[in-house]
Amino acid sequence: MSSEVKLDAKIPDGPLAEKWDRHQFNLKLVNPANKKKFQIIVVGTGLAGASAAATLAELGYNVKNFCIQDSPRRAHSIAAQGGINAAKNYANDGDSVWRLFYDTIKGGDFRAREGNVYRLAQLSCNIIDHCVAQGIPFARDYGGLLDNRSFGGAQVSRTFYAKGQTGQQLLLGAYSALMRQVATGKVTLFPRREMLDLVTVDGKARGIVTRNLITGDIETYDAHAVVLATGGYGNVFNLSTNAMASNVTAAFRAYKKGAYFANPCFTQIHPTCIPVHGTYQSKLTLMSESLRNDGRVWVPKKPGDKRRPAEIPESERDYFLENKYPSFGNLVPRDVASRNAKEQCDKGKGVGETGLAVYLDFADAIARDGEDVIAGKYGNLFEMYEKITGENPYKTPMMIYPAVHYTMGGLWVDYNLMSTIDGLFVLGEANFSDHGANRLGASALMQGLADGYFVIPYTIGGYLAGTEFADVNAAKTPEFAESVDAVQRRVDKFLSINGNRTVSEFHRELGLILWEHCGMSRNEEGLVKAKTLIQNLRREFWENVYIPGTGQDLNQSLENAGRVADYLEFGELMVNDALERKESCGCHFNTAYQTDENEAKRDDENFCHVAAWEYTGDDETPRFHKEPLVFENVELSQRSYK
Amino acid sequence: MISKTINLTLKVWRQNRSDKIGRLETYPAKDISVDMSFLEMLDVVNEDLTRQKKEPIAFDHDCREGICGMCGAVVNGRAHGHEKETTLCQLHMRHFSDGDTIVIEPWRARAFPLIKDLVVDRSALDKVIAAGGYISVNAGGAPDANSLPISRDVAEKAFNAAACIGCGACVAACPNASAMLFVSAKVSHLAALPQGKPEAARRAMAMVRQMDACGFGNCSNETECEAECPKGISIIEIARLNREYFKSEFA
Amino acid sequence: MNWFIEMLRSSIGKKLMMAITGLAFILFLLIHLIGNLTLYGGKELFLSYVDHLHALGPLIRVAEIGLLTFAIIHVSTGLILFWQNLQARPVRYQVDKRAGGRTIGSATMPYTGVLILGFVVVHLLNFHFIDHTQQTVFQAVDATFAMLPYVVFYTVAVIVVAIHVSHGFWSLFQTIGANHIKYMPAIKGLGVIISLLVAAGFGFIPVYVSFIM
Ligand SMILES: Cc1cc2nc3c(=O)[nH]c(=O)nc-3n(C[C@H](O)[C@H](O)[C@H](O)COP(=O)(O)OP(=O)(O)OC[C@H]3O[C@@H](n4cnc5c(N)ncnc54)[C@H](O)[C@@H]3O)c2cc1C
Ligand code: SF4
Ligand code: FES
Repeated sequence: MSSEVKLDAKIPDGPLAEKWDRHQFNLKLVNPANKKKFQIIVVGTGLAGASAAATLAELGYNVKNFCIQDSPRRAHSIAAQGGINAAKNYANDGDSVWRLFYDTIKGGDFRAREGNVYRLAQLSCNIIDHCVAQGIPFARDYGGLLDNRSFGGAQVSRTFYAKGQTGQQLLLGAYSALMRQVATGKVTLFPRREMLDLVTVDGKARGIVTRNLITGDIETYDAHAVVLATGGYGNVFNLSTNAMASNVTAAFRAYKKGAYFANPCFTQIHPTCIPVHGTYQSKLTLMSESLRNDGRVWVPKKPGDKRRPAEIPESERDYFLENKYPSFGNLVPRDVASRNAKEQCDKGKGVGETGLAVYLDFADAIARDGEDVIAGKYGNLFEMYEKITGENPYKTPMMIYPAVHYTMGGLWVDYNLMSTIDGLFVLGEANFSDHGANRLGASALMQGLADGYFVIPYTIGGYLAGTEFADVNAAKTPEFAESVDAVQRRVDKFLSINGNRTVSEFHRELGLILWEHCGMSRNEEGLVKAKTLIQNLRREFWENVYIPGTGQDLNQSLENAGRVADYLEFGELMVNDALERKESCGCHFNTAYQTDENEAKRDDENFCHVAAWEYTGDDETPRFHKEPLVFENVELSQRSYK
Repeated sequence: MISKTINLTLKVWRQNRSDKIGRLETYPAKDISVDMSFLEMLDVVNEDLTRQKKEPIAFDHDCREGICGMCGAVVNGRAHGHEKETTLCQLHMRHFSDGDTIVIEPWRARAFPLIKDLVVDRSALDKVIAAGGYISVNAGGAPDANSLPISRDVAEKAFNAAACIGCGACVAACPNASAMLFVSAKVSHLAALPQGKPEAARRAMAMVRQMDACGFGNCSNETECEAECPKGISIIEIARLNREYFKSEFA
Repeated sequence: MNWFIEMLRSSIGKKLMMAITGLAFILFLLIHLIGNLTLYGGKELFLSYVDHLHALGPLIRVAEIGLLTFAIIHVSTGLILFWQNLQARPVRYQVDKRAGGRTIGSATMPYTGVLILGFVVVHLLNFHFIDHTQQTVFQAVDATFAMLPYVVFYTVAVIVVAIHVSHGFWSLFQTIGANHIKYMPAIKGLGVIISLLVAAGFGFIPVYVSFIM
């Protein structure tokens, strides 16, 4: 597994602050009259996809936009709660583009590119301007100006929000811009379509193959460039905070056609989620981490203590975060909080029926500030908690447990957001680019919108203007027919296995394997074991899965089967990646590499790079490539939250 | 697991696009934990059906957090079930009792053709938005976000209307299958804000025309929509839509 | 003019027509009620009111034509709405429950509407299209309400009108866009008061005429 070619990220030269400007100037432009000659496929209608499709259409390109849901407005981005960061410094508290850049790089544990992250911080301000012009009802203060809050342990207030529904409001903004272009005819929508293959012609991405989820038809679409904005793959763990249709399929199909997959093992686990309550559970619900501002996290000191929380006296409670991290206490970063909660539960100190939960207690805050003040801050979260659990958090402590939340890994892209396949661009959570080994709160929305509204419109122009295109036609070019064939064969195969286990059973089992061995903390032994377990499970899947119904119809079991089949391959890629990275960094915590304080210990000497994996064939070990990360503007430091 | 379980009888609408008519089929739902959501209960029934090599019940869902608007069915005659301001995915089984019979039907409206079982086609709602549910700004030219102060109350008002998740429960619950609550939510959201004012008149007219063309019924102020809306959208938004519409026509 | 017809044909336009004509009828009802209250003052007072009314001559004709036109608009639009709304849900629910929005008034609008139309026809036959040279209106009233079935019919009819108005009144404000948390409760309250007034004021007349006078 040695690297052959070094990956070139095409980061422009020049001082950090000027890179993007210079690059924009150097990019070739498509003549306005020529734009209408280009067809662009955008897969995904989340923040990244909808914003890209709308903006490209505004520029005059013809866009075909695809999504799984019945309407573009339902993409998973809709569920984001907390907010979106921007370096506006409206709070006058010392924020700046540089600080946002630095926080993001440091938060990512120095495993992201300086050039990309700086551009992201710069564009963050344009996003807010544009979104306000679109009519997004951000929270405001009494003077009528935009309100900000601090989020995810940041020391400045730079998070813009719309109650607890920021993602919804931002997505509806992008969706409305998109629908405006649908009305002009510049965008054609293809909802309820699942992309099942990428078609390349002469090494360039020239189209996709989809399954019409209602009729079951396998359809082909051609274009001059393909943009994937298909979101993250957190559902590889089965249980996560992601929407049910979130998948790796689109990205994985592209990977199999030659796009490298970068840092697949980097998954973020969010500490404040509602705990699992049964095997039938279908997804996990996130509770905003702002709760940790006032809630105190504790478990009983005695393992196996099954008394009710009120019966456990103060002296027998272990406020483990406060004890271990006196200066940050309950506000340590996501990964640290998550890991510690799991550690306590592994010691048998977990609470609740399953023993997989810790308390988040508001009693002190309520005694200090009064119920009204706490209700004012967290009223809707408390309601949501009660709706789901049937318990009243004003009276009894909440129970929380970490859950898979975000995937920093994704398809490798260069500074232009182009993958290793020419003409295949990847945006939003689906790419790997900006968050390194750990994403800061409120930065995913920012990245998705920066990619869609402000980066891709320029960089795709550079590609289109500088490329010679062969004539390609989905109905005639043989590559499309070949791809349809392969997709159809796979569908037929699924339906003919006729085994004895349901798709969900496999998914659940895969999720448990990964959660156990490739989750919050990892070690070599567990990873090696996981690899075998996944291989066996995959083999069993292809022999023993049962998928009811037919292929010529709406068949949700069939849809799931395709996604789980890809997860069963992708899971192994994650494990490979985790094995290859012999250090701890951000969310990748290998127990063999930790400081005396049990913190992630990076190895900048050997692992200051992006790991990118190239597909080499089914059941073959993928080829490893390395993109070294160069830090010219920041000094690599060790995180410490003691 | 020591949590309580209940047994239920489901009567679920089963129909394929190709079938002329559908029918209610009866299925037992056994050992349902009261901590499950309604959709998780359906998952369990579907797993059972699959194990018996029968086709599971098709239903739409995605976020399972009450925000994407994808889920929805009429449960015992109530859109999204009987809990107030709750989507089907957030309806929990503790609100049902052991031995209950639950009738589950799809949204019914001419404008929402049936696709399969509980899945219907709501693209009419997208068409209405495409007709004018936006502010016409292109990316790139916006002034500084704080150059236009907007009072907190106005922002709040806009937000309340913008909270609509486009689930279509208002249409399903309306005795007339009217989409007025949905349309009014978008018109109100944008009309409340200064950015949305320049196009307010054109927007209201275009969206109402499109709504009518989609085959929704006419509003007769039954207010069932407001009572069923999972996001608490008020019919005050409909009054506002009416005003905006008259303004657009008469001005 | 095209835009106007287009507007009226839209769903909100039809509502507007219902609202405006409905408002006119409610006003008419109130005036009619005030007039009829003279009955409680005895025959002389009532007849002098009738005389005064008839003295208005052409104005009355205009009002009559106006009311007739409004009635045609209200009834035909109402029927179109009823028909279209039935069409909007070709397959009905097997189980249909209310969520708490619908009231008796709102749920029965088309039916009470048709009943009222029938009632108005009978009412006009009873008191309007009669030979006024043969009998005074008072005599007609007296004679009609001497028959018990008429008393019952009229009493039931005004209750139906009251039910219709109970939804129609607040609803027309909602339609013309006048709904605000601050004053909607007052409008709704006023609607209830008007319905009760109509029911009590008109409803008691047949009883009064046949049993008390
Ligand atoms: C509960 C929750 C809360 C969050 N809160 C925040 C927050 O407060 N702040 C923040 O910054 N971030 C937050 N995040 C993260 C953030 O929401 C996501 O990272 C981001 O929205 C991803 O956007 P996207 O456009 O890349 O993809 P998505 O929104 O996931 O969209 C993916 C799109 O691709 C389509 N698609 C996928 N696969 C296929 C296929 N095979 N064929 C066709 N179409 C396909 C889907 O239909 C969908 O339209 C949160 C995440 C979760 C889960
Ligand atoms: S108005 Fe309410 S019921 Fe109607 S679509 Fe919006 S959220 Fe659903
Ligand atoms: S599944 Fe998203 S609202 Fe219910």
